[in-house]
Amino acid sequence: MKATAKQLRIETNWPPSQGQAISFTSSTESNSPRSNSPGSNSPVSETAILKEVRWGLVWRDFVLEDGRVIPEHRVAGCPQPQVWRNISEVTEDEREQCEERLLSMAGAGMDPRKRDQSFWTELNQYLAYTYLRFKETGSPSPDGEP
Amino acid sequence: MSRSDKETEEQKAWRVLSEAGLVEIRLDEFAERIRDVKRLVMVRLRELLDFNNNVQERESAAYSLGTLKVLELKLLAHTPKGSESQEN
Repeated sequence: MKATAKQLRIETNWPPSQGQAISFTSSTESNSPRSNSPGSNSPVSETAILKEVRWGLVWRDFVLEDGRVIPEHRVAGCPQPQVWRNISEVTEDEREQCEERLLSMAGAGMDPRKRDQSFWTELNQYLAYTYLRFKETGSPSPDGEP
Repeated sequence: MSRSDKETEEQKAWRVLSEAGLVEIRLDEFAERIRDVKRLVMVRLRELLDFNNNVQERESAAYSLGTLKVLELKLLAHTPKGSESQEN
């Protein structure tokens, strides 16, 4: 009962407002593309100041004052189940703008393998969105293959 | 749409993306995940070319495929030699 009341209180105050301190799980995963050793991806709890909450193509991102971008599901207190967009809500314009931004960041020589940075989070969402989009619309072939 | 229907859709999307390794992509798996998504788009594009005359969807799929190809090439250009698995 107490847990339910607490959950309701969190949900009515969600998402947190600009300037509020939020806790989230970050990761010690190195930015090195070779960092695949066991234990290199252990979660760590951090606190930072929220600058902005914005919708991506699938989920909400929390932009921090230090420039990092944290997906909503990693923020402490995120109500369950999370609110995700239905991919049919994403307009052609929105998708094209996202593609332009990604190509622009890639063209500028940015590397998406910098965790919690704009390119990483935007590419992550674009791949998730594109996967859902074509996974849903794709019809199985007669032999049962996708 | 009822809340329970919506929850089911979101939970399904979460499961599908988790299984595909696309919720939080590991830094050393970006190239592989881009290739996975590219393959899916190619399958759909082939279907559209063979059986569907929806030109807008065809163009949109082709553009997405082009975007993924450019991103993959840029990513590989940043990858130190020997650290990337075999190219498809």
